[in-house]
Amino acid sequence: MSKLRPQKDYEKTAAFRFWSWLEGKKDPYVGTLEMKEQKEFRESKVAAVERVIDHEKLHDKIYDMEKNKEQKFFRVFYKISAIILCVVVIAALILCASYLPEVGNASNPTNNDTMKRYVEKGMEETGVVNTVTGMILNYRGFDTFGETCVLFIASSCVMILLMMSEEKLRANETPDFEPKDDLILQTIANLLVPILMIFGFYVIVNGHLSPGGGFSGGAIIGSGLILYSSAFGEKKIRRFFNEHVYKCIKVTALILYGCIMTYHFYTGANGIENLIPMGTVGNIISAGMIFYINLFVGSEVACTIYSFYALFKRGGL
Amino acid sequence: MPVLEWIRFILGAALIVLGLATFIMEIYGVYRFRYVLNRMHAAAMGDTLGLAAAIIGLIIMNGMNFTSVKLFLVVVFLWCASPVSSHLIAQLEATTNPEAGEYESKTLAALEAEEKEEK
Amino acid sequence: MNSGIAALESAYTIFFSVTILVIAVLAALCLLRAIIGPRLADRVVAVNMIGTMIIVVVAVLSVMTEGYLADICLIYAMISFLAVIVLTKIYTGAYKQAKVEKTELSIEELDALLEEQKLFPERDLSEFGVVMPEEKEEGGEA
Repeated sequence: MSKLRPQKDYEKTAAFRFWSWLEGKKDPYVGTLEMKEQKEFRESKVAAVERVIDHEKLHDKIYDMEKNKEQKFFRVFYKISAIILCVVVIAALILCASYLPEVGNASNPTNNDTMKRYVEKGMEETGVVNTVTGMILNYRGFDTFGETCVLFIASSCVMILLMMSEEKLRANETPDFEPKDDLILQTIANLLVPILMIFGFYVIVNGHLSPGGGFSGGAIIGSGLILYSSAFGEKKIRRFFNEHVYKCIKVTALILYGCIMTYHFYTGANGIENLIPMGTVGNIISAGMIFYINLFVGSEVACTIYSFYALFKRGGL
Repeated sequence: MPVLEWIRFILGAALIVLGLATFIMEIYGVYRFRYVLNRMHAAAMGDTLGLAAAIIGLIIMNGMNFTSVKLFLVVVFLWCASPVSSHLIAQLEATTNPEAGEYESKTLAALEAEEKEEK
Repeated sequence: MNSGIAALESAYTIFFSVTILVIAVLAALCLLRAIIGPRLADRVVAVNMIGTMIIVVVAVLSVMTEGYLADICLIYAMISFLAVIVLTKIYTGAYKQAKVEKTELSIEELDALLEEQKLFPERDLSEFGVVMPEEKEEGGEA
């Protein structure tokens, strides 16, 4: 191979000259061009004053809200075009809705064999009077189980993001600015919170006889807890609904729901006799597992709703 | 008997029309008053009288039924709960608006003189 | 409602439909008030009114068609009441917090200031012809 050239020989080659020109180490005009001496640029006072005055005038002209024609036009145009856009969108949506077929029309795509089976045999096979509850908890029970799992995951995620430990909460305690100990609110809450809880329990338990069920009843119990917490403060509600109780209720409800669904899937798929009695239609304890599933779903939803309120407000249950 | 049925219809309809008239007066009041506390005074009229008249009219039209019991519970609940709402809204306005008491302290003559000055 | 007389049935239907229509128009006007109203309390009042009118609409529907809608009526009444409570508390808390941070008063001073603000000053009622009785001092009588 070739030897390494010494530096002096390399500096005479064309390649060295090309690369040093490219990097800018050698300026071809230094020492060859005549230049005048350059002074530092300083603005004269007159020019500086004029520049500031021009800037102020332009600023006033652009940001003048009252007399600027474009601003006035834009404000009027914005309001009118907002109204026109709303009216056009509403009209388009109503026009679309008017093309829908009538309810109960025989040629609807919802009139198929599945629907007929649900409507005709729903009451005998599931044992509920309310066909919708029978559908979501018996025929399509797997979806509802997935939804309950999603509720659990959602409240767990909110706990992960927002929850602070008790020591940190006490250290960071900003004084509570909200109005406290309002006598009128407390008197009414003493009367109304029991009514709300009983009504919520009624809606959960009667899920298979009248419209309602686990989800709506759970929401009502959750709002009863929120009312109690708003009226009496956080310390009082922590006497009976704190983090320990919340965790116990949530995990127990989901595990028992899973067990009962597993039992039903197993017995249904393998043709084994189901041990939970169906009962007579119209009683409260009837329809097999649907009564118990409503209780689990209701407690799960109530805990979720109250935990969202408490975690967003305070950072701890 | 057909006469009794018609009497029931007319009685129920009269009460519902009374409720509707209360709601119309409430809306007119809310638009006409100038300050929040006055408007709230007008709004509380619909929460109590309008609702009670309309729902008792509906109970009369429906007869003795389980639905009527539930509607009566709605009236009881709202008669207990809506004064508390009014109290809390008034507390909100009095706390956050430092000028809420100003118009109360001037006499009528002074208020009208001020308005003429503004015009 | 099942009376068997055709005229009465149609009278019921027409009357209920007109009621629902009138209340719907009133609710739309309430919504306009919620948009216009310059202060926050205006808007909370308007939302409360809309809730009450919708309760009446649902009650009329429950008498007209199915009986179980009365449950929904009760639930909606509870939820609108709860909404007003939570809204007012949160906004009062936020206003007080912003004021404490801006003017750097302590909380007790701010509370005292607000209590003073709430008491409306005495009004001169002489133009209405009302004569307030003078307070007599009870001195020394057992």
